[in-house]
Amino acid sequence: MEDIPDEAKAMIGGERVNVYEITKKDIRRFAQATGDKNPLYVDEEFAKKTRYGRIIAPPLFCHAFAFEDVPAEDLREDGLPVEIDVPLPVKRAIGGASSFEVGEPISPGDSITVTKKIIDIYTKKGKTGKLYFIVIDTVYRNQKGDMVAREKATYIQR
Amino acid sequence: MRRDEGFFESIQVGDEVPALTKKPTYMQLFMFSAATWNRHLIHYNTEFARHDGLKDVATHRALMGNFLAQMLSEWAGEAGRVSKVEWSVRGGAFPGDVLTCRGKVVQKSVEGKQKKVVCEIWVEKEDGNIIAPGKGEVTLFS
Repeated sequence: MEDIPDEAKAMIGGERVNVYEITKKDIRRFAQATGDKNPLYVDEEFAKKTRYGRIIAPPLFCHAFAFEDVPAEDLREDGLPVEIDVPLPVKRAIGGASSFEVGEPISPGDSITVTKKIIDIYTKKGKTGKLYFIVIDTVYRNQKGDMVAREKATYIQR
Repeated sequence: MRRDEGFFESIQVGDEVPALTKKPTYMQLFMFSAATWNRHLIHYNTEFARHDGLKDVATHRALMGNFLAQMLSEWAGEAGRVSKVEWSVRGGAFPGDVLTCRGKVVQKSVEGKQKKVVCEIWVEKEDGNIIAPGKGEVTLFS
């Protein structure tokens, strides 16, 4: 922790909350973007005959709301998402890891509250110098308060 | 894909999950950037990506996770649902690469009514190099 600038440390624990209304279009575009052709995500007639009885979203659909929709002028010049725009003596984002829990199914009409915070920032020595790790915990809940997803994502910068 | 009755019973530790092949294109990376509102230039601007030390625009960490989730989901079909996906990105993937998602059953568990299957999962490139190893869990419908 002693290697982390104070302004970066100050960002740990700060919550950002956003609410999104889910539409069929959101789910359809996400499925198309990932190249997943399961009719359960797009075809209402098909979905009606399944155990869900309605269209549901792919397992990792909440990635659609992982990055906040801030205006372009609030982003760094390279478009780095604000979530990981932490004042660290590094320039490049590389790789990363994720632990994604899937909760209750999501359907069109749901309202998803996204609550996210940086839970840790730490450094490690890499082959080509110091690496910085930013860990973000994001919880997604529906209008009933049920957890629909939770992701702990680790971003690496050097 | 239509296996529900007896799916859990039919699975053995060591079984392979049917592989899923993905070929990310410039268009797909752009579409995933748009769908996730990820405006980082390394995913859709080749010149910037090269300036940043990459071979070309990079496949998103999250997109690799979605590929792995799709593989598990297609395997479980109507018998269950993907309940957890973990992965870490160890190498880059670029337009033109052929990525194969694979998995292997490492554990079956029954807790009360809940039946779960845990798999080792990974994304590999054509040369067999594993660029995203991880773990996935499918929870069966009871």
